[in-house]
Amino acid sequence: MTNFSTVLIALVIAAIVALWFVLHAYNRLVAMRNNVGKAWSDVDVQLTFRHDLIPNLVESVKGYMVHERETLEAVARARSAAMNTGADIATRAVAEMTLGSAVGNLFLTAERYPELKASQNFLLLQEQLTTTENRIAFARQHYNETVRQFNTLIAEFPWNVLAERFGYSPEKLFVAEPPDRATVQMAS
Amino acid sequence: MATPEHAGPAPSMAARPQRAPETFFKAQERNRRATWRMSGLCVFAAFLMGIPLTLVLTPFLYAITMATAEVVNYFSPLPPEFWQTTSDLARLGYRVTEAVINQRGVLDPVQLAIVVALIFLPGIVIALMLWAGMLLLFRHGGVGGTLASLNAREPNQGDLKELQLADAVQEMAIAAGLPAPKVMLIDSPGANAAAIGTSAEDAHLVLCRRLLDDLNREQLQALVGHLVASVGNGDLRIAFTVTSVFETCGLIVTLINAPFGQQSRHTLWRMLGYVIRRGPGKAAAAEEVAELLADTLEMGSTDIERFFNSSRPGMIRKFLRFIFFPFLFTNAAVELTLWFFLNVLLGPCMALLWRTRRYLADAGAVELTRNPDALAGALQSLSEDTTAVAGGNWASHLFVVNPTGDASLRGDTPSGEQQRKFLEAWRAAAGGSMAATPPTTTATAPADFASARREMMSLAMAAAMGDADAVTRLQTFAGAMGMDPAVLHNLPNLNDLMLAQRGDRAALARVRMQRQSRQRQQGETRSGRTGLQQVSFVSFHPPLNKRAKRLQRMGARLVAPSRHGGIGTRIVIAVLYLILGPLLLAAGVMMLFVVAMMIGLNLLFLALWLAVIHWAFAQDWPAIFNGFMKFVQDVSAAFNQRR
Repeated sequence: MTNFSTVLIALVIAAIVALWFVLHAYNRLVAMRNNVGKAWSDVDVQLTFRHDLIPNLVESVKGYMVHERETLEAVARARSAAMNTGADIATRAVAEMTLGSAVGNLFLTAERYPELKASQNFLLLQEQLTTTENRIAFARQHYNETVRQFNTLIAEFPWNVLAERFGYSPEKLFVAEPPDRATVQMAS
Repeated sequence: MATPEHAGPAPSMAARPQRAPETFFKAQERNRRATWRMSGLCVFAAFLMGIPLTLVLTPFLYAITMATAEVVNYFSPLPPEFWQTTSDLARLGYRVTEAVINQRGVLDPVQLAIVVALIFLPGIVIALMLWAGMLLLFRHGGVGGTLASLNAREPNQGDLKELQLADAVQEMAIAAGLPAPKVMLIDSPGANAAAIGTSAEDAHLVLCRRLLDDLNREQLQALVGHLVASVGNGDLRIAFTVTSVFETCGLIVTLINAPFGQQSRHTLWRMLGYVIRRGPGKAAAAEEVAELLADTLEMGSTDIERFFNSSRPGMIRKFLRFIFFPFLFTNAAVELTLWFFLNVLLGPCMALLWRTRRYLADAGAVELTRNPDALAGALQSLSEDTTAVAGGNWASHLFVVNPTGDASLRGDTPSGEQQRKFLEAWRAAAGGSMAATPPTTTATAPADFASARREMMSLAMAAAMGDADAVTRLQTFAGAMGMDPAVLHNLPNLNDLMLAQRGDRAALARVRMQRQSRQRQQGETRSGRTGLQQVSFVSFHPPLNKRAKRLQRMGARLVAPSRHGGIGTRIVIAVLYLILGPLLLAAGVMMLFVVAMMIGLNLLFLALWLAVIHWAFAQDWPAIFNGFMKFVQDVSAAFNQRR
């Protein structure tokens, strides 16, 4: 009798611990995936911000750079291409990288126009563009880091069972080009 | 000194093998573990400090209770069960104490537990309650008070540099996945930065405006990254807890002093006012109360000493002094215990705990920016400059670099950048007053720098002798270097000194005035050494060269200046430690002994005091008075009969 009740109590305690663990693990999975979603929306906000910024940018340098029609058009083309990509992260990453390099190219070209370079307006614009590029880079870095953490978590032992049970699959990283600034420095 | 070495990295660097590289993830993990270790140590230190403190406070509390009971009993007798219980408990305490100390009789574990609980529980409960009260009290204090005392202002969106700063904060917040903290600027000659607030929600980053000119965009970003990482790691909560511990200690001292003087009562009133207060003034009130409580922790500034030290006391004062004599001992014991243990035990533990947070935030900044070079460069730049910031003493531990300055990352010879700046300023000043050689070359040779420095020395001598031309030239130079030209006015004028020696009154007055103004300025810088820094002999800030070394392990290319002097200096230092270590240890043991003696004396005086009170209240005073009157009447009657 005493033996039986001891076993019963032990079983109940084990069940409570197991239930607590499952709840805790599930909550953690949900929180992690929400983090990934939030990080992605950060990236999205910054990318959209750049899309909105580019027409102003083109407008303000157009007057100075009459001979650079091609560069300006490349920017406009890259922008519309980036805006029209679907939900797939990989294709979107490629399009946005193209846009980034087109804008960078535009600024390299602008360096050749002294009167443009000297204007206060241009300096402000340059700062705005620098911070936009930085924000995109940092948002992407944060997103990739969050995704890496999530993917590592759902590949580890107790969680992989739960993740499979609740239908969680690894998220995609936001990378397109060969390793850029961040990854190069990480590797060194 | 004048011949700079250009041999690349210093040879002693090669002698010591560099530590293995470490990723910022590893570094953060390591520092997080270190934080856990240090917080364990802090709890242990607080526990150790609590033992003597409760040993002082508990008998005092019991004595107060007993004295009150005596008074109440005199007017309306208390039930006999009360006296019975008290007496039983006292006997129990006596028996157990004798069993423990004199090894006499048998020790019952239940009785022992009761006595230990009787001794320690009241103190622990009261301390915890006070601490919880402080946490609750200042939780909603806000940051307005600190910001106001720092004279912080909002950045100006029209200024390109300040716009860059606001952008850098946004970028770092995005990189950390946090809501962007507010950013404020201080227009002060110092160069430093801090994250201020009680939690991540109301975090404010405060930066000196001068930083924006001294650092490039990447360095600025790294510095902001440090602050944002610090906020993201929850450092503000930790800082808040650490300060609340010190504030609780201040509150204990204040409460004990409250019956004896104006100052502590003033503090308590202010606290009460702060509790009731609603609206905009609350933040400033929180700051003020925190400062008041911190001041209480300084030794030798309390009301009770003034109460017992005042010369030529009146009759009432003498009587009160006699009555309150044991209070003096309790008070002194509490203050001594707090002072000793805060300085030697709890303060250093908390300082080391806080240091691990700084290292953690450094690694966090590298994670956010992926650029260890930028942070190392920023730290070096802060080390080159004076970093003192006026105001905000209470928050000094929140700054990135020790606000009283840290020269550990400053090399012996100025960096190339500084040499260039020096030469440019020198030429600008030379062009202003005399036709010197025009700046033909912009490249800076070390020889140029050395000769310019020599010229500067002779010019300074001329200026000191009273050459007006030299003085103006030096002022132009100081202005070009970005220094305050008023600094020069504080140099004593040699001419005046000589005249004063000959007895010229006007010159004497000038010299005296200069000395006074200099003293005033030095007094101001000394007052910057307050806040938490004053209650711990270990600084809350890790030395910059250690931070630079850790950044090096994460990939920074900055070479921290190695200590000059080889094996000889090291031997001298080792011998010094060997001599000083035991001396310090002996001093510590002596202090512990003094604390123990104070506790014993305190117990003795409390017992005597209680005995006197008990005797006084046990007498039937009306009967004695009647007896005395009867005696007087008898005597006078007898006297009358005789006549």
